[in-house]
Amino acid sequence: MINLKEQISLFKIIGGQLSKKVECIAIGGSAMMFYGVKNSTKDVDLVFLKIEDLEDVKEVLFESGFDERKNVKGIFREDEEAAKPIMMDGKDTRFDLFLNEVIGFKIHEKTIERLKEVHEFGIFTVKIASPEDILMMKGCTERERDRDDAAELIRKFNINWDIILDESSRQTKIGIAAFPILLYDFLTELKENYKIDVPKKITKELIIMAEKRIEELRKKDKLIRVTKYYKK
Amino acid sequence: MDLIELAKRLEGLQTVDSIAISLGIARRTAVNYVWALRKEGFVETIYGKRKIRMYRISPFKALKFGYPGLYEYLNQNSKIKIYPPYIERIYDHKPTAEEMIVKAVKTGDLRTVLSSLALFNKIKDWTRLSQIAGKEKIGRKIGALYDAARTIIRVRKMDKKTRKSLLRSKIDGKFIVENARTRDLEHIEKMWKVHLPFNKADLEAYKE
Repeated sequence: MINLKEQISLFKIIGGQLSKKVECIAIGGSAMMFYGVKNSTKDVDLVFLKIEDLEDVKEVLFESGFDERKNVKGIFREDEEAAKPIMMDGKDTRFDLFLNEVIGFKIHEKTIERLKEVHEFGIFTVKIASPEDILMMKGCTERERDRDDAAELIRKFNINWDIILDESSRQTKIGIAAFPILLYDFLTELKENYKIDVPKKITKELIIMAEKRIEELRKKDKLIRVTKYYKK
Repeated sequence: MDLIELAKRLEGLQTVDSIAISLGIARRTAVNYVWALRKEGFVETIYGKRKIRMYRISPFKALKFGYPGLYEYLNQNSKIKIYPPYIERIYDHKPTAEEMIVKAVKTGDLRTVLSSLALFNKIKDWTRLSQIAGKEKIGRKIGALYDAARTIIRVRKMDKKTRKSLLRSKIDGKFIVENARTRDLEHIEKMWKVHLPFNKADLEAYKE
């Protein structure tokens, strides 16, 4: 586990050792620490938009004593293997490096427009994903602590639910076709188990969206298998 | 009252009066709420016209690490204020006026560029400015903006060596702001062979 101060120190080390400008997006617990919603995190999740940037950071982490985990299991989404993150294990923490997508959730222009914070560590720039995007990415996993984090996000921020609906619709086309179903399940669970206030209109819209998409796929004779991601 | 809920409800720019109205409470109570919110780090005070206090309230807690980024820096040093599109922090060094001008020009945003003109008065190392601008391929743009700034505000004099080096520098595209051209600062445009994005009237804000 690391706290925000230690995370900043690690980013400074990376920034000091890079040879060219690198940009990435912090998501998950790492981003939540910057927002002051979380005190510590087990893994630092970073999304890169260029493979060269990811490779550069991976190399710097290796030089700093982080080892690449070799036995990362593939994650299957709708019969397709989603991109595996590169996991760099350190003594107290782990870096999960993603390229363009997080467990099927695609990162695109709109995600970048919604960024709330930018942190510069020399030539290493870390942008912070919006609470809405973090919430949606958390919806793709089945880890208990991701639910805790999501509940905390909804409690502490004015979540713009229109963004959630808009993005869910977009993800069905560019990412996971069943994304609204996953999100519906996730939000309903939060509502029931954490007593979180999720507008009824939103869950209703998500169901309509999911049914519409599934009907479209059925017409094309494309059956999908909905699976969630479980990371140990 | 739960302070996070309160910060969520009042998110945005507020005055004591607007808080009192939106919550249906007395002015005195509104002041107390602002005090409690500030203590938790949810409030930033800014001053409007005639020194009226405004509060930027957000459930995002202001980060205490690092140094201010571009927008905060410009708001501290320029008469033309900008509503930051995002929070920015710099960790590895204290930002200087030289690098902030270059950063502002690189945004390609008219108001940011306009606001950055005030920073020419804070330049301490002209050679450094020339070096950074050259590296980012905006040397001549910086030179043109400096000349434009001189038409309206008092700025420190640029040394001849820097001017020559900026004039000789290579640039990426002639526009500072995409497709924006000036109508009345053409003599500067001609000298630096770039397009200035504003007219003299736009610079009047510096005179107010």
